[in-house]
Amino acid sequence: MAEYIVKENALRNFFQALTEGGQRTLLAPAKVGDKLQMVECEADKITLDFANTHQSPKSAFFPQTQKLMAFHKDTSKSDPFVYKPLGLDNMKPTVLFGIRPCDAKGLVVADKVFQNNRFTDPYWKTAYESSIKIGLACTAPGPNCFCTGVGGSPFSETGLDALAYVKDGGLAIKAITADAEEFLKGLSGVEAAEVAGEMAELKKAVEAKMPGPIDMAKVASGEILDIFNQPHWKDTADRCLNCGTCTFVCPTCHCFDIQDEQNEKGGVRMRNWDTCMSWIYTVHGTGHNPRPTKTERMRQRFMHKLKYIPMKQDGDCGCIGCGRCVTLCPVNIDIREVAKQMNG
Amino acid sequence: MGKEDRNIMHNPYLPYPVRISDLRIETEDKNLRTFKFEFLNPGDEEKFAYLPGQFAELSVPGQGEIPIGIASSPTEKGYVMFTVNRVGQVSSYMHNMKVGDVMGIRGPLGHPYPLEKLEGKNILIIAGGFAVTTLRSTIVWMLQPENRSKYGNIDFVYGARMPGLLCFKDDWTEWQKRSDINVHVTIDREAPGWTGKVGFVPTVTKEVCPPPANTAAIICGPPVMIKFTQPVLEEAGYSHDDIIMSLENRMKCGLGICGRCNVGPEYVCKDGPVFTLTQLNQLPKEY
Repeated sequence: MAEYIVKENALRNFFQALTEGGQRTLLAPAKVGDKLQMVECEADKITLDFANTHQSPKSAFFPQTQKLMAFHKDTSKSDPFVYKPLGLDNMKPTVLFGIRPCDAKGLVVADKVFQNNRFTDPYWKTAYESSIKIGLACTAPGPNCFCTGVGGSPFSETGLDALAYVKDGGLAIKAITADAEEFLKGLSGVEAAEVAGEMAELKKAVEAKMPGPIDMAKVASGEILDIFNQPHWKDTADRCLNCGTCTFVCPTCHCFDIQDEQNEKGGVRMRNWDTCMSWIYTVHGTGHNPRPTKTERMRQRFMHKLKYIPMKQDGDCGCIGCGRCVTLCPVNIDIREVAKQMNG
Repeated sequence: MGKEDRNIMHNPYLPYPVRISDLRIETEDKNLRTFKFEFLNPGDEEKFAYLPGQFAELSVPGQGEIPIGIASSPTEKGYVMFTVNRVGQVSSYMHNMKVGDVMGIRGPLGHPYPLEKLEGKNILIIAGGFAVTTLRSTIVWMLQPENRSKYGNIDFVYGARMPGLLCFKDDWTEWQKRSDINVHVTIDREAPGWTGKVGFVPTVTKEVCPPPANTAAIICGPPVMIKFTQPVLEEAGYSHDDIIMSLENRMKCGLGICGRCNVGPEYVCKDGPVFTLTQLNQLPKEY
């Protein structure tokens, strides 16, 4: 695959060109208030100097709130009270620049849920598959980064169309997919170059500074119920507030609620991010709750990431090591510590 | 179903528009209503091809959706039928809807009972209360002339607290007259005018339970009924592979995506709701 560089003084033009004259929405790392986020932004607001965005980029394809369909109540028109889909036609594709390799891998985990062995989520598929994802490799990983602990790499190419790293203030880019090569070769500011050798060297050097693999062998081979019934869950859950911060920022958390809203003229059906930390998430109509206390709810999250997803996704871990939950948990619950206990 | 489903860009969130073609109060406490729906658009009935044991999301515009087992059999053409318990926002709203009102149904969802695997076996069907819905579908389907010969003896144990809470009275009264199904309908306590069996479902199961050789049991009912019926079958010698159950959990998408209905790595909506006891014994009891 082709390799390129974009010199520092050509960056602005390059970022502008990524939208293909406005045909694509450009999402890139930029400051929003005091936080760095993956957002739609002007070329000169994009930053290359960051550990990772505050929230994961999943909202690019799975918005926090999303209208799925709408209906009207006007009986003089056709199809009153019949839902019609929203947001699937003429959707403007995105180009994600600067997504970290861990997050790109997280989106692949989510993709296998949204496009599972029986059903395809058309809202996710339309947004995800039409996007171009240009990753930005990590040359200076953050203090809580552990992609290398869960089978990833700061230079992982999984789920990316191209991978870049910062070189002399500009960019070195390697195309990974044919689509990306086609997309990149004609863009303003892009020059052909040879960077794969240097990229491989950098990869080795950065990986060497990062944590080694977390031993999950016994979690992988153990019976579900043996891990489920381990005694450590309650001790960890004693601290847990069930606040749901971990699920909010996690790139592989994909749960949602579906709600209808209406007025006198019609209504919409929408989906909103949900969290397995919530009591109402699982409660039955009878009042019975299969996960009645915070211990069961917290256990569910770790079992899902570290046991259930690997079982369903050929051994790939449901945690991609971005470290957001570790950084943001208000009571310092650390998924790496939980993984060790589960494997103990 | 398999991967081929993915090749068609079908929107599985979008309900088929339907009209309520018939409704009736199912039980004397008026908490259960049975709805028949006809599809508004030609061709949708064929697209909604289902088998006994599957469920659908009943979808009321502006109110929301509820996952309900399909009570009709695919052999009953021209409509699909559901019995709805009044519990929450959507079901309560539906209890005030009328014949002719337009709403939606989305599905079929989940897996059916393993009808092919059960061929050649005797079948023991055990139902409690209004959980009888998908079992009604199963019995209607099995009693069809083209299907009946595929199965051995069929026994049906069905119980409710009192006579007025038994669903589908017309159906099981007809079945009682047939020689190709043994119907054991029971109520918990003596009641005026009731001449049938009296006793809890586990007790009646113990009385009428056919020998386990080449027999499979399908159970659907409230947790307390299942809790006490399961040991009866185990004592009778039924293997865990031959005890088939249908689970319920809170659901939203019905597609294995929104997350909440999982039992271990399995989603009740997408991978269930039908499981054997062998499968359930390896999973957390989070249902």
